[in-house]
Amino acid sequence: MIELCGVTKTFGPKTAVNQLNLNVRAGELFAFLGPNGAGKTTTIKMVCGLLAPTSGIVRVGGFAAGSQQARQLLAYVPDQPYLYEKLTGREFLRFVVEMYGLNPRQAEARLVELVETFEMRDFIDDLCENYSQGMKQRVVFASALIHDPKVLIVDEPLVGLDPRSARIVKDLFVAQARAGVAVLMSTHLLSIAEELADTIGIVDHGRLLARGTLAELREQLQSRAPLEDMFLQLTGGTRPLANGRFMVPQGEST
Amino acid sequence: MRDVANEPERSVHLTSATEAARAFRHHRIRLVRNTVRVLISGSLLRMLMILICSAVFWIVLFGMFFEGFMFVGMYVDLKNAIIEHLFGMFFLSLLIMLFVSTGIIVYAGLFQSREAAFLLTTPAATDRIFAYKFAEAVAFSSWGFLLLVSPMMVAFGITVSATWSYYASFFIFLLAFVMIPGSLGAVAAIGVANYFPRRQKTVLIMGTSGILLATGFLIAQVVTTPGSALSTDWLGGLLGRLSFSQHPLLPSRWMSAGLLAAARNQWADSLFYLMVLTGHAGLFYLVAAVFARDLYRQGYSRVQGGRSSRRRSALYGIDAAFHRVFFFIPRPVRLLILKDLRTFRRDPAQWSQFLIFFGLLAFYFLNIRRLSYDVQSPYWRNLVSFLNLAVTALILSTFTSRFIFPLLSLEGRNFWVLGLLPLKREAILWGKFAFASGISLVATEILVVFSDLMLRMSTGMIALHLGMVAVLCLGLSGISVGLGARFPNLKETDPSKIAAGFGGTLNLLVSLVFIAAIVTALALPCHLYFAGQDASELRTFVLSEERFRFWMAVAIGVSLVIGAIGTFLPLRIGIKAFQRMEF
Repeated sequence: MIELCGVTKTFGPKTAVNQLNLNVRAGELFAFLGPNGAGKTTTIKMVCGLLAPTSGIVRVGGFAAGSQQARQLLAYVPDQPYLYEKLTGREFLRFVVEMYGLNPRQAEARLVELVETFEMRDFIDDLCENYSQGMKQRVVFASALIHDPKVLIVDEPLVGLDPRSARIVKDLFVAQARAGVAVLMSTHLLSIAEELADTIGIVDHGRLLARGTLAELREQLQSRAPLEDMFLQLTGGTRPLANGRFMVPQGEST
Repeated sequence: MRDVANEPERSVHLTSATEAARAFRHHRIRLVRNTVRVLISGSLLRMLMILICSAVFWIVLFGMFFEGFMFVGMYVDLKNAIIEHLFGMFFLSLLIMLFVSTGIIVYAGLFQSREAAFLLTTPAATDRIFAYKFAEAVAFSSWGFLLLVSPMMVAFGITVSATWSYYASFFIFLLAFVMIPGSLGAVAAIGVANYFPRRQKTVLIMGTSGILLATGFLIAQVVTTPGSALSTDWLGGLLGRLSFSQHPLLPSRWMSAGLLAAARNQWADSLFYLMVLTGHAGLFYLVAAVFARDLYRQGYSRVQGGRSSRRRSALYGIDAAFHRVFFFIPRPVRLLILKDLRTFRRDPAQWSQFLIFFGLLAFYFLNIRRLSYDVQSPYWRNLVSFLNLAVTALILSTFTSRFIFPLLSLEGRNFWVLGLLPLKREAILWGKFAFASGISLVATEILVVFSDLMLRMSTGMIALHLGMVAVLCLGLSGISVGLGARFPNLKETDPSKIAAGFGGTLNLLVSLVFIAAIVTALALPCHLYFAGQDASELRTFVLSEERFRFWMAVAIGVSLVIGAIGTFLPLRIGIKAFQRMEF
């Protein structure tokens, strides 16, 4: 459903994404991991059609990323969601419904369902300018799902969500994937990736360093360590300790 | 999991152009309706004040234009070529201003806003997104234009006894006219994003230089026109030099000729120019829409990828010198001032406007002798010097309203950082005040000395003007910093929108009242004294040398008291509000 073939993206002299090959199939929940500046958000923006690759091909549902067909299939939830301050949550969802050309009656039923799912009844008719970060995040998730996307792209999905909302969102990701949606999730929370992802991709300096299920990653790295240690081994090798000494992933302090 | 990665989706329902257009239309209606509701329910007083201020501004402008047209009408036929020349120049200036302002707003809206990123991921066609943002940009850039032009055109219509159809056609002319520079500005914005994605500052600097050069050229044309200023020969010569504004290919010419034809009841001519104008408005919009369709998405990608990653020189030498020179200011406050100075220096949108304002003023002052003001009588020189001073103060007030007032609001989401700093909150405001008054004093004192030297004013008068400017700088800075803290808008990131809000408008009004009070207090005794020097028959009504000295002392005392109130009262209000503020 999401396909990147030999994709490179440069910003002046800096290479943000370097010869990246990636496939996310329908029904797959793919967790994209990497340190800050590894190229995760750049990759996501190329899939959404916001950035054009310097070289290589990006396709969504078989269509060129950024084409109208690709955008029609896709839903994107950025790390800092955008809402119109002077619209209510319900009006924003209706705008999305109209933008995707959905049947009004069916869309209204779906809207009611999402309001219930994300527990937005108490604030959905208030102006978005009065929302907390968590409320905004819930409305944006609802707007992403209201048109039944085939591809769901989420950048740092749990930012600002309380534990209850986070649980709802995590369950939804799994449900979406099981319903055949390709879910690409970028996160720094390794536990979320460990808990939810069918496939994990670790990226650093624009290169995909490892890809596979948790078991496959352990096999590739010949390690039984938790994902956090494997991640650090791949992306840096050492991690700081509170007393200022450094420790290699195998646990030997230096 | 199905392996369909390489298979195109068989049936993708695409949003039609009509559906997207309807979605945007409904969206805009909801936004406008909610904004008006919030304005009305939030503060009726605020809404009323905005409406009353706009009405007062409109009426004052109308009165000025009406009196001006009546005066000119005593000497020339208002429907003749001279008025057409003047209108031509006026609309040409507006054409350039609208081109620049719409271009900048379109650029910010299409390439830098978070809304653009959201819209670009929806199925809406690129040219539809452009149309939506373009309408917003044109409305935002031209409402002030409507407020400026409508009293002028209504005053003109009344003076020449135009029929109702002139007023009706004026709005159609106006609508078509703003579309042309707006579309061209949009084309330029999309071009800059595509071809100079990492050179916005260079483009801005080149644009500013271009505007300065063009204005310099115009002023040079005015001051080098032979003949006695404002004489018939001089006016004829000047209009000849400015005849480029009457070029038949300029939309400003179609606008002025069409409106004048409507005023003369020459409907065939007026309709002809209206058709030319609307035809070109449509054509230019089409060009902009095609540009956007083909280049917007690519330009967006380039701008996002083109953010400069070069390291900034911190100019540590300047920092060290600043610390040494202002050793008497507490170090944390000095650091805050340095932060604001760095932000100012690295934002060309700020200092370029500052440069345009004060650069033009300096250019005018340098040409005072060419206008022969310096060889006029002491009465005229005094009048011109106070007028120069008032203009400098007015320009300074636009600077403090546009740049100083939003300073605290612009801290926005980082406001808590200020709140947690290990120094008294009031020290933060004093820091902003020192920054504002420092920049203002340097810029305006130099200009006023220039102006007075060119006018060959006496040392006493120069000293008086210097003191007066200092009082004005401190007062205007105090008002902007104080009201900026009292009416912050922490949600807005665009300084022009903060300045255009309620607090900004109030700040501008208070600043204008303050300038009027200070200038009147000091100018009045000087005016009465010099009037006596010039016209002996008025001697009985004006001040003698001795009484002048007395009244000047009173005036200086009064202006110092007004200055102190203007500086400390708003600061006190701001400090109180800032101390109560929760983060």
